Amino acid sequence: MASADKPINTDVPEKDVFALHFLQSLSNLRRQNTFNSPEKTNDRVKKIKKAAYVSMARAAGGTNRLWSRALLRRAAKENNKVVRLPRRKKRVTCLRRRRSNRRDPVEEEEAERLRNLVPGGGGMETSKLMEETAHYIKCLSMQVKVMQCLVDGLAPK
Amino acid sequence: MNSSLLTPSSSSSSPHHLQSPATFDHDDFLQNFFSSAPWPSSALDDDAPPPTSDSSLAGFHHHDVDSRNQITMIPLSHHNPNDAVDVNAIYSGFSAGSLPFHFPQGSGGGVMKQSHTQTQSQATASTTTGGTAATPQTKPKVRARRGQATDPHSIAERLRRERIAERMKSLQELVPNGNKTDKASMLDEIIDYVKFLQLQVKVLSMSRLGGAASVSSQISEDAGGSNENTSGENQTTAKMTEHQVAKLMEEDMGSAMQYLQGKGLCLMPISLATTISTATCPSRNPLISAVKEAGVPLSPNAATTPVVNVKGASVVTVKDASSVSKP
Repeated sequence: MASADKPINTDVPEKDVFALHFLQSLSNLRRQNTFNSPEKTNDRVKKIKKAAYVSMARAAGGTNRLWSRALLRRAAKENNKVVRLPRRKKRVTCLRRRRSNRRDPVEEEEAERLRNLVPGGGGMETSKLMEETAHYIKCLSMQVKVMQCLVDGLAPK
Repeated sequence: MNSSLLTPSSSSSSPHHLQSPATFDHDDFLQNFFSSAPWPSSALDDDAPPPTSDSSLAGFHHHDVDSRNQITMIPLSHHNPNDAVDVNAIYSGFSAGSLPFHFPQGSGGGVMKQSHTQTQSQATASTTTGGTAATPQTKPKVRARRGQATDPHSIAERLRRERIAERMKSLQELVPNGNKTDKASMLDEIIDYVKFLQLQVKVLSMSRLGGAASVSSQISEDAGGSNENTSGENQTTAKMTEHQVAKLMEEDMGSAMQYLQGKGLCLMPISLATTISTATCPSRNPLISAVKEAGVPLSPNAATTPVVNVKGASVVTVKDASSVSKP
């Protein structure tokens, strides 16, 4: 049976890491020829948003976090790229525990909604889900701060 | 007194047991227990110190009745299902009256369970006093509290619930307004916050383009759930909304408000809207376009709460549209 938990690690890198990744992705986007034509603003919007999420996932932990792996995999699928993510042994043990642990229907519906929001939440147990949510929230707020700073800095005086 | 040992669940009605402190020596009692019981070493906690002295007992007295109930139960380690049998045998020996001392409920200073802070007292038929030493309270290991506590499912359940509660606590600090004690409402807050953050990312990614029209169209799409419109269509959707609202306002103000709320919009006086827009985005010159009658600037704001002024009707989108102010 499971023993005591190790202390949960929800550390998030500093703002600079996020900023660096985001700016790199933006500069990559600029190099694309199709990007700067201003007709289809919606496409640009979508691309920027996707770039924001992917850069956030990379900055936050790369493939060490379940949600970032799922995010990267999803993004890669959209680009029809094949992403090779290292398999982690932890997956197996997670599955093994699922047998006896999915109970408590009161919170399960809420957990369902959370699973739909957090990337990669479908395959997680509730406790793992909450851990991932905490990290996800931290990373999201960091990313928002970075983007806000960029927008403020670039706003015309 | 021995009967109280047997049925600790009923002792909730007898709190006076607390007042009689143990006069016996903990160490002796537990030493004897250890030597007699075929106790596998793994039953002990990892860093189990020798049975704690009166300090723990004294501290123990202050606990509420529920945690006291658990004391007398056997704190078996959950990896050892076989111990239950042995311990039961020993306990029956005890209950035969061989206890030479008054055995208050609190004697379980040596047997108390660490995570009693989160106890839910479960009625148990037979409870035995385990001889395992008390472990420091900081260690979150779970000791089985029932006599038949070796049921792995209940233990797993409890572990899982505690784990979830732990994570919830850490999440509570992250989410603003996380002072709700109710788990369900806390989860709601978390979900809303995640949605809000994702919306923020979306808005910020849009605002960088300076596409004012596309911004408002995207936002209204989120609120209304309609399909994505190109920038050209935005004007028509806004106009439609306005017409609809005007129509509803003629009939009943309340329904108009509800319609707006459903779209995630609210009404506010034009003066207030202008104040807000100039205050929050004073530098957004290229986005301010001359607008219809009211002259309200169309200026998507990339601040924390996405605010879009739809021209003319001074309708403002707020994050959850919970505030509606009438002109």
